[in-house]
Amino acid sequence: MSQRQSEIKDTIENRDRIHVVTFFLSMVFLAMGIMIVVWIVKIQASYTVDDKVIGLFRPVVQKHVDTPVRGRILATDGRPLAISAPLYDLYMDCTVLKRSYQESGKDSLETVWQNKARELAVSLSRIFPEKSADGWVDAILTGRAKGSKYLKIRKNVDLETLRRVQAFPLYNEGAYRGGLIVEAHQERIYPYDSLARRVIGYVKEQNRIGLENSFDSELHGRDGYEWRRVTDDGSWVRDLDSTSVQVKDGNDIRTTLNVDFQDIADKALRAQIDADDDVRAGICIIMEAKTGAIRAMVNLSRGATPQTTLWERENLVLRQVGEQGSVMKTVTLLSLVEDGYVKTLEQTIPTNNGFVPNYNQDVHILDYQRETGRRDISVMHGFEISSNYVFTYLAETYYGKKPQEMFDHIYSYRLGEAFDFDIPGLGTPVVNRPDTPGWSKTTLGTTAYGYSISVTPLHIASFYNGIANKGTMMKPYLVESIEKDGKVLRKFEPSSLNESICSPATADTVTRALRAVVNTGTATRLKSAKLSVAGKTGTARVVLSANERGGSKDPYSDLSGRKKFQGTFVGFFPAEDPKYTILVTVYSYPSHRNFYGGTKPALAVREIVDKIYAIDPAWRPEIHPVGKTRQTTQEQ
Amino acid sequence: MSVKNFWLSVRNLLKALRDGDLLLHVKADKYYIHVMYVFLLMWVSILLSLQVDKTLTKAGANKAAIEELRIHHTESEAALVKIKSASATEARLKRLGSQAQMPKEPATVIKRK
Repeated sequence: MSQRQSEIKDTIENRDRIHVVTFFLSMVFLAMGIMIVVWIVKIQASYTVDDKVIGLFRPVVQKHVDTPVRGRILATDGRPLAISAPLYDLYMDCTVLKRSYQESGKDSLETVWQNKARELAVSLSRIFPEKSADGWVDAILTGRAKGSKYLKIRKNVDLETLRRVQAFPLYNEGAYRGGLIVEAHQERIYPYDSLARRVIGYVKEQNRIGLENSFDSELHGRDGYEWRRVTDDGSWVRDLDSTSVQVKDGNDIRTTLNVDFQDIADKALRAQIDADDDVRAGICIIMEAKTGAIRAMVNLSRGATPQTTLWERENLVLRQVGEQGSVMKTVTLLSLVEDGYVKTLEQTIPTNNGFVPNYNQDVHILDYQRETGRRDISVMHGFEISSNYVFTYLAETYYGKKPQEMFDHIYSYRLGEAFDFDIPGLGTPVVNRPDTPGWSKTTLGTTAYGYSISVTPLHIASFYNGIANKGTMMKPYLVESIEKDGKVLRKFEPSSLNESICSPATADTVTRALRAVVNTGTATRLKSAKLSVAGKTGTARVVLSANERGGSKDPYSDLSGRKKFQGTFVGFFPAEDPKYTILVTVYSYPSHRNFYGGTKPALAVREIVDKIYAIDPAWRPEIHPVGKTRQTTQEQ
Repeated sequence: MSVKNFWLSVRNLLKALRDGDLLLHVKADKYYIHVMYVFLLMWVSILLSLQVDKTLTKAGANKAAIEELRIHHTESEAALVKIKSASATEARLKRLGSQAQMPKEPATVIKRK
């Protein structure tokens, strides 16, 4: 064999070996490939996921949702009116370690546990005395025998109580041995209980009212979440590799309410109406004259029957749309003076025996004629004694041919519409104008003394505040700022509903008339108040519901002649330089008694004025030095 | 590389492993400092990771403590304002038989604010 032939033979052998190895490897890979495909098919078709296996591959993380802390509602001086804090519900798993003790066969362990439960019961009876120590022992051991895992200990305990309970025997050994179950839930706390509750409102699950409702978007805040992972020592920490959203607590609302004023008004009103079963409700508004800031708003009412207690059940200040009676005479007087029809309050009109065609006779005028022997009466005196005749006569005389002129005034005083307010739901007034179906030939006159027109108490208070403020009618408001951690985010400045409802001179004239009502008219109970008060009383009959009438044709009385009244006093103080406007109204159940604005409401106002005088810094007298004072070197 | 050379390399590798001079064969002494540096970096990384965990655990505990203080403060504040209202004070004084009442005249001050 030549060398050439030998090389060729080697090459062929070499190639055969490579072919064999390659073939072998390809077979191996092919077999592996088939196995993989079969394995994949098997997994897809029949493999069930074992959680333990999955758990080994899954990173130990969990999503933690942070609930924001609801913002506070604060009084004007920063005292909290509504705050949020968690309360805790306590339960007990009575079966803890029971099975493991049974399985271990050591009865002594169970005995030790039960002895500790007896010690626990003694401690529980001290802090939760609704059950004696024996009672608690019985509850726990019976629960253990019956396998109770959720024995109620107490709901809604605070943090301090929780910490005390956690230190009790057995519970201090941890949840695994003691079985204490703690469930926390955010709760809204109202430290002043019922005080101003209709204004502050409340939160009950999805139901909200008052400021809690209207400022919910500010108070609520924003939920946050973060992913947490477990560390080597078993602690849960934030997983920095995952996304998170920072929780944002709610903003605080600073209201215009003065807690002391609210307290005084609440108490004064209760003093007048609490003992009187014929009184259904009482309200009070105190408003700062220059700004329109509401300093107090009381809404006390009873339930359907007089036996129920007074409580802030409904916001009558905003929602009680009704005929306000004689307090509306000031509306008529202001319009007459502003239009120049009444030039001086001493201007007189004929008495006509208290009779205006188409209207009921005013018998008070007959008394006036008899007592004075006069056949004329001044506008001032008519206002002082609150004569319906005088105001019907004036309205018919000056606006009879152009009633729209008077109604234009009413609308300019914002008594014809529901203006924007911090708590929604302000009642819409009902005004019978010449162009509305309710208009009749007596509507103008009755409107002049407070019937045929229905408004809310807040409308009336705002109007009187306009007079106190020399013609500038301020918009009432309840919230002065939105804050976060004491920093003001947004401030709500006072604003006006009408920059000028009348000239300052007109306001002064009407103030003089209002002052006369207190000095010599229907509100003399306020004459000796510690600050001079100017205001007007109003007594109105209230239309009865069909049920209350019981078949009577008179809308204002039932078959036995019982009537519903509302008595109001509205005014401002001190009369010379008004600082506050005040309105108090008392509503009665149907009764045979009359409720005048000059009685209970005026008495409540007097108590409020006297107490505000004593605590408001504006009236604190300064010490004036008498005799020689030591002079400083510089002065010498 | 031929199959023959491959098996030769495997044989040398096993022999070097048996003799304990594998690292010298792969000239690891030349890269010793780099290897040590990598180890150092890994050690520092693990240490930092543990420290971060420790800090986060501590921060979590502090956060819980602050939250507890906040709750305690809120509850105390609520309890305080409840007893601080004028009518509550008046009622308490009356219950205790005190003659003290709310002021009827404003307090005299040196200078009104």
